[in-house]
Amino acid sequence: MNNVVAKILIVLQLVFSICFMCFAGAVYSFQKGWRDRAESAETRNGELNLNIEQMRSDKETQESSLNAEVLKERTRAEDALAKLENLRNDLVQSEQELANQDAEREKHLADLGIAQEEAEARGVESNALRQEVEALRDQLNTGIKRRRELDGQKLDLQSEIGELSEREEYLHTEIARLRDLLRLNEVDPDEVYVGTVPAAIQKVDGVVRQSRKNTSRTVELVEISVGTDDGINKKMKLIVYRGRSFICEIEVTDVYPDMAVGRVLEETRNGTIERGDHVTTKL
Amino acid sequence: MSQQSSDPTIYDGLMFVSLGAVITGIVFLILTLNEYGWSGG
Repeated sequence: MNNVVAKILIVLQLVFSICFMCFAGAVYSFQKGWRDRAESAETRNGELNLNIEQMRSDKETQESSLNAEVLKERTRAEDALAKLENLRNDLVQSEQELANQDAEREKHLADLGIAQEEAEARGVESNALRQEVEALRDQLNTGIKRRRELDGQKLDLQSEIGELSEREEYLHTEIARLRDLLRLNEVDPDEVYVGTVPAAIQKVDGVVRQSRKNTSRTVELVEISVGTDDGINKKMKLIVYRGRSFICEIEVTDVYPDMAVGRVLEETRNGTIERGDHVTTKL
Repeated sequence: MSQQSSDPTIYDGLMFVSLGAVITGIVFLILTLNEYGWSGG
């Protein structure tokens, strides 16, 4: 019986020993495999940690840079907003200025229209004034011409006045002389004269141009070189002489400004009339 | 005193085999512990 139990125990011991050995070997082998995998996993974990740290640092760097960029962009955005606001204000101001400029332009256009109308009116007025100036110039020319004529008349009148003054002086002298003569002849110059007074005859000298008789040869006509310009009148009697010889008297029948024709008074004839004989109103 | 046979039986061999297995198992365990830095005491 003991042998059987011992044998059973020995077999059981053997089985359990083998089982123990197998489990120990399995543990060792599995442990080694797991260890290698753990080491590789640890290595990978370390690498991953390093990568994580690197990425974290990169992330922090990027975050800081991004924060800086965000801050910068925010600043830029604020600046842009400020600029936008300024531009908006400028736009509003520019629109207001544009409206003011438009209003001023409209006003200037209206002023321009008024100025154009005024210029046209001025043009019409200037044309009228030009015509008036032309008329006044014509009047001025006429006045100048008239003034020249009046100046000529004035000169003529002045010369005539001078001649008349000289004649007046001569007449005064003559009156004084005649008064002296009357006083010498004991004649009162204030005495009243009764009857017609013969006209005073001025001494006029001329020459005989030609003489001829009429068709019936009853009257001899003489043409002389003096006329109305020399004071010769119709029916005036003239004396024809040659040197110191009296020839005859003639009576003027026709008179012209520079010549006259006279009829010979046969009762006074004392000789033959020839061309070039002298003729006078009184000797 | 009972007389005992001195010839080794199969069971003796099995005993040695189990001894060897136990020793091998212990060596495996020691190696495993050494892997974790075990110093023996």
